[in-house]
Amino acid sequence: MKISLAFLALVFSACAIAQDAPLIRFGRGFAAEEQVWLMSARPDLTPNQGKRYQLKQILFQANPERFQAYLAGELDAGTAPGLAVIFARAQGVDMKIVASVCLEAAGREWFSTTYMVKDDGPIRTVKDLKGGTIAVVGIKTATDLWARAGLLNAGLAPDKDTKVFPLGFPAMGDAVRTGKVGAGTFVEPFYSAEMAKGGLRKLFTAVEAVGYDHELLDIWFGEKFLKAQPGAVRAFLADYVAVTKYYLANTAQAKRDLHKAGFVRTPLEVYLKNADWKRDANARVDVASLEKLSTFMLDKLQWLEKPVNVDSMIDQSFLPRP
Amino acid sequence: MRRLLPFVLIGAALLAWELVVRSGLWSPLLFPPLEKILSELILFFSKSESLMEAWVSLYRALGGFALAAVAGVAIGMLMGRSAPAAALLDPFFSGTYAIPKIALFPIFIFAFGIGSLSKLALVFLECLYPIVIITCQGARSVNRVLLWSAQNMGESRLRTFARVVLPATAPYIFAGFRVALPVALIVVIITEMISSADGLGYVVIYALASLKTDRMLAVVAVIALLGLALDRALVFLRDRLVYWEKLETYYV
Repeated sequence: MKISLAFLALVFSACAIAQDAPLIRFGRGFAAEEQVWLMSARPDLTPNQGKRYQLKQILFQANPERFQAYLAGELDAGTAPGLAVIFARAQGVDMKIVASVCLEAAGREWFSTTYMVKDDGPIRTVKDLKGGTIAVVGIKTATDLWARAGLLNAGLAPDKDTKVFPLGFPAMGDAVRTGKVGAGTFVEPFYSAEMAKGGLRKLFTAVEAVGYDHELLDIWFGEKFLKAQPGAVRAFLADYVAVTKYYLANTAQAKRDLHKAGFVRTPLEVYLKNADWKRDANARVDVASLEKLSTFMLDKLQWLEKPVNVDSMIDQSFLPRP
Repeated sequence: MRRLLPFVLIGAALLAWELVVRSGLWSPLLFPPLEKILSELILFFSKSESLMEAWVSLYRALGGFALAAVAGVAIGMLMGRSAPAAALLDPFFSGTYAIPKIALFPIFIFAFGIGSLSKLALVFLECLYPIVIITCQGARSVNRVLLWSAQNMGESRLRTFARVVLPATAPYIFAGFRVALPVALIVVIITEMISSADGLGYVVIYALASLKTDRMLAVVAVIALLGLALDRALVFLRDRLVYWEKLETYYV
């Protein structure tokens, strides 16, 4: 009898702690965020989850919708490309980047978003895209920025010399092969699948386009949440870094777990073979690369109306010390 | 007072919007003040590039609509006045009406390319259905006394069609046009939002990607004004061409 009562008391107190732990409503995406997904797929890897914070991940297809949900008070945090956060900050959205998810990096061991053309087509260099088209996944997205950077490098004026069109990733391969677009944007798993089919050739990568390694995806938090629940954010990021380290050390197993949990729909054998983006084990943000991107967005693309203070939009003080 | 009536609801909606903005309950990035939207609207009309974007959307919408009008009236008439044609075509149109044609847009891109043709083709397809179905209904409901009278007077089939069937169906044809025309505009904007480098849909998605809700809403207002202008133009044309049947209602 006493043992039963003690057990019940233990269960109730555990529930009470879980209920007291602040809930982080987290807007996630559908690509390149393996560590983030793993926090929900393998909660056993996150000792603070349920105790010092609770995590609810909500899937979003695009960044503007994620930010709108945040502005409507439906999200506390999320993932987003660094450039999307720069856009948001330029419009006065009160959010801060607190950790890195992955980077576009040069090197054979990393994947970098690749722009491809028809293997036996007339486009041999970027200059040959004059009068043609290049497909990106969305307007004012990272894929749009890299495409425009690639065109500018070749002396072409985006939109004037070469039309930049949005097109879904799944349609890119056939659109390039049939000549409907001159070049297309390819990320994993589409890149590997299209390379296996053949008939496509690399034109340039995201890193080659901008000329340096740079942040692709980051984790952001609303400033109000950061002020109100600093302990929960620290606990979340401690777990996040631990999961990132686990992912880097046990990538195959982590991918299997993510596939089993339904976070990834790509056939497992394909997913396991895919090259991966570079991820910093300590989730540190490459601030300098974001500053360079911000300058490029302002000066070359006229995507920003005024300069954005990149330093003020990043706060890495919540990350555990390396 | 009566002349002001059409503006009451619009005014109330604008007032409600401004009250929401001033309440401070939501971010001004989600609900920008009317003055900001108005200033973006003025900016839109002052730029020739913006007007060019509106023209691109307009010609795509009107191009697809015009093709659908020609084909739709012909098919609708055929289905309405010919039993074998109705037996052949009715199941097809009834069975495929509910398909959201926008889902076929990726196929249209592959068939007709990324430019205007794929959008025009989708507008044509979306507009075809209401025009065919309403025209068919009109052609079927021609007063048979009028048809008998024409036959008794010795009119040929062609003259009966031209002098009796077509005028009697005209109000239905225009009703079909009035349903299809806003559809044309909606489809063009959606397709431009999905895959385009120009047009008003592109401007909407561009503003949305920049979190410029005020600009996006200004373009939405332009689309609404365009839709209103097209509808008024169509009603004007209808009143001139179908002058014997005014759009007047007897309210009890």
